[in-house]
Amino acid sequence: MTRLQTEALLLRSVEFSESDRIVHLLTPERGRLTAIAKGARRSIKRFGGSLDLFNHLRVQIDKRRGMARLEGAVLIDPFLSLRAVPGRFALASYLVELLDRVAPEAGAPSDLRRVFAFALAALRALSEADVTPGLRALLELQTLDVLGLRPELGRCVHCGRAPVGPGPVAFHVADGGVLCGACASRCDAPLLRVHLGTLRALEQGIEFGTARLSRISWSPQALAEALELVSRFQRFHMGIQLRSEPFLDQVVGSPPESGRPPA
Amino acid sequence: MQSSPAIERLVSSLKRLPGIGEKSATRLAFYLLGAPEEMVAELAESVGRLKQDTCLCERCFNLTDVSPCAICRNPERNAALLCVVEEPADLAAVEKSGSFRGHYFVLGGALSPIDGVGPDDLRVADLEARVHGGGIEEVILATNPNTEGDATAHFLADRLRKTGAGVAITRIAYGMPLGGDLEYADHVTVGRSLENRRQMD
Repeated sequence: MTRLQTEALLLRSVEFSESDRIVHLLTPERGRLTAIAKGARRSIKRFGGSLDLFNHLRVQIDKRRGMARLEGAVLIDPFLSLRAVPGRFALASYLVELLDRVAPEAGAPSDLRRVFAFALAALRALSEADVTPGLRALLELQTLDVLGLRPELGRCVHCGRAPVGPGPVAFHVADGGVLCGACASRCDAPLLRVHLGTLRALEQGIEFGTARLSRISWSPQALAEALELVSRFQRFHMGIQLRSEPFLDQVVGSPPESGRPPA
Repeated sequence: MQSSPAIERLVSSLKRLPGIGEKSATRLAFYLLGAPEEMVAELAESVGRLKQDTCLCERCFNLTDVSPCAICRNPERNAALLCVVEEPADLAAVEKSGSFRGHYFVLGGALSPIDGVGPDDLRVADLEARVHGGGIEEVILATNPNTEGDATAHFLADRLRKTGAGVAITRIAYGMPLGGDLEYADHVTVGRSLENRRQMD
């Protein structure tokens, strides 16, 4: 790549030296990339207000040698309503940080385009959403799915049989999915207990488009189970603690205490 | 280059400052070496006293030499107007405009969850206490007009409304900068300038 003209989402913007900025962008062609925006702090005309968090941009990037250089940026959509509601701001910050930490920097073009399309759709949906703990769990799960980390919610990860109720079934966090009764009884690892209804709601959440997620309704028990499952799955498989999580917990609501050993 | 330990120590200290590299630090060190003794002594004294003579105002959290600061002590200023800014430098910018004769409150930054900055890292509770303490009729939210600044303003407005402060809450206007060029402005800035247009006097 020497010159690239593309759409981009601004995931992070960091002051660099007296006059520059380093920007982290998510693009449909190159995935996540870092570029230096020369003069961005000093000149109002050069980039205007375009280098702001969450902004959807059209950018020109030059990468002849060393770090990519942002040559121009035109604002397409600043998603202003994300700023106006603390819950939206908190969840958008969380998703953007997750993408900034984990989104691929290279890969199959179709996968990169899928990640970008998802990120854009998620910010659009959030711009109009009433942010609830249920929406948090589902959007986080969809983000994990688009990043290639989808938990197995329908079939036993050890033998492939569908787990049956009544009562809660076992979810093996480390193995990334549910266990049937027989496999669960042979398993020594700590297991989460989750009702089949919760698993069905989560599966539905992965399949639904981002705009329809708020239609899924939750019982208090299912919501608590879903939040704990997604939170533990994310922490185990990504191995990172996101800086934006405490604010999200404070504004939207936190998963149940996940320090206790699973049942 | 081989030079005295004193020069090397000064160069090493100077290059820790923002925007100062090895070359600039060396140039400054040699300039000071050739400068009049009184000037160097005055600079050394100013640097030495900077920390010990500077504190935070107990009312507005601006940097000052005496608390409460001169602005908070000034009886000529309108104590019913409270302008909330992110940093002392923003307070200085508003003050320099000469358009505001009320009081200030320095929040200590803006919400930035991605950097791990939440409400507990800012002086949100102090602001609420100040507003609930009475005597304030209007809170002007003058955080920066970027994503974090706007989100902080909305967060504060929500908190003050929910805790029943009962004061008017306003936000600084958005629009074109003086000397700006419509052709080069982004469509959001132009749109907001039109939304916030005013009758010509």
